[in-house]
Amino acid sequence: MRDIFIVQFAGGLADRPSLSLVILNNLVGFKLAKHSMSKTAEQRRVVVTGQGVVSPVGTGVDKFWAALKKGESGIGPITYYEVTDDLRCKIAGEVHDFDVQKDVGDINVVRADRFSQLAAKAAMEAVEQSGIADTLKKDGSRTACIIGSGSGGLTTLETGYRDLYRDKIMRTNPLTLLRTLGSSAAAHVSMMYNITGPTFGVVSACATGSHAMGLVYQMIKYGAIDAGVAGGSEASLNWGAQRSWEALFVLSPAGCFPFSKKRNGTILSEGSGIMVLEDYEHAKARGATILAEVMGFGMTADAGDMVHPKVEGAAGAMKLALKDAGLKPEDIDYINAHGTATKTNDVTETNAIKSVFGDAAKSVAISSTKSMHGHMLGGGSLVEGAACIKAMHDNFIPPTINLNDPDPDCDLDYTPNKGVEKEVTYTMNNSLAFGGLNTVAIFGPAPK
Amino acid sequence: MDEVATKIVEILKKNMKSNPDKEIDMDTELTDLDIESLDLAVIVFDIEDTFGIEIPYNANEESGDFNTVGSVVNKVRELVAESSDATA
Repeated sequence: MRDIFIVQFAGGLADRPSLSLVILNNLVGFKLAKHSMSKTAEQRRVVVTGQGVVSPVGTGVDKFWAALKKGESGIGPITYYEVTDDLRCKIAGEVHDFDVQKDVGDINVVRADRFSQLAAKAAMEAVEQSGIADTLKKDGSRTACIIGSGSGGLTTLETGYRDLYRDKIMRTNPLTLLRTLGSSAAAHVSMMYNITGPTFGVVSACATGSHAMGLVYQMIKYGAIDAGVAGGSEASLNWGAQRSWEALFVLSPAGCFPFSKKRNGTILSEGSGIMVLEDYEHAKARGATILAEVMGFGMTADAGDMVHPKVEGAAGAMKLALKDAGLKPEDIDYINAHGTATKTNDVTETNAIKSVFGDAAKSVAISSTKSMHGHMLGGGSLVEGAACIKAMHDNFIPPTINLNDPDPDCDLDYTPNKGVEKEVTYTMNNSLAFGGLNTVAIFGPAPK
Repeated sequence: MDEVATKIVEILKKNMKSNPDKEIDMDTELTDLDIESLDLAVIVFDIEDTFGIEIPYNANEESGDFNTVGSVVNKVRELVAESSDATA
């Protein structure tokens, strides 16, 4: 698999003689395998130099993290649309402290769908923190921008269809199509920062942000790019989406109670998590502050069922990430679980952790921060990734709130109700999406 | 400037990518307002909404009606008059 990446990426380097030379030097140590044409190269270390969060518990990483530490909930009554009596679930995680005019300003983004607006805000925070904007202005060709969304401009579509079919307004806003495109968040951010390298969206429901990060991580690791803006965004809180989630019987009318006996579904929310990833040497050369190292990444598919996850799929992704990181399960201090509070996810994830961690499963600190910020779907992975990195910086495990009566089948340490101080060196970020699409990322401290 | 012109200038300013304080008069060329084809599609939509008219506009065709602010105002006046004639 790695060999394939090298071949593909090296192919794109023909017009970059200096870099080709570097790669070539690395390839001097070609290990020619028994099968000819196979080759390996030095792998580059990948670090995080910026992160940005827009979430129902706060816009901006510091505000978000302060809320998580206090165990605050961002879930409340729906205000974005008329809450009809037929809705079973009348609550959601809305973002109320974000104003696109004031916080972003860029007219292209102001006109875009909200999922692109949230991504733009999170990207601004991440890029500003990384200090990479001036580098990009000079040359953005060695940087990627991969920002996905589970459902893209779903609210734009809903509004457009309502106008056309129900209200018979036979004029469609000229931006409807562009707002709807799932790649529009990535496109907008690329324009904001002159990112001219690989730019597109990825789609994998609730693992979207993590898959985006994994791609950027691997591209940097194998030399195709030097840096990348990666993440996901979701803003699909509308009546139609709420109805479609309800039809699947996965929403709770009462709240988000991960790992609890009383859990009865998840709570939809909106938000965006974005990171700036960078080749370690590149970051060091420009004097960037390094927030963390991406130690490892693993991805699998269950190839099983759209809504019933398999232990083997989640466990497989954790094992791959650990192997990639060169770490043992007992090295992991904190797992930010997918923890959606659906019946099946929480037990399956618990069993997957047990199968990979063995005895260490009992001692690793786990929490589902979704208990506070709800399920941001495609936007959630790197919001939770930001929680992992802040946990390392602060040596603090954020809690799983609403956990007074744990499910006996969920018998690990989920940090109930109150966060705890604990030395945190390595963290694991799980994303287990509908369709059985699994990703696991492992973060570690900045290289010394 | 009459009401039609004032409203159109407001719509133009709202959709300008830079320098929203720029002085605009009837001779101002749209190309001097940092307005591109996508902006023009949004502007046409906004004008149609504001005046309740339909503007025959195609981004793929050259149109003298959209060269200067004055030409847009004249076109809108004409369409508003046609529309009120039709409903009279």
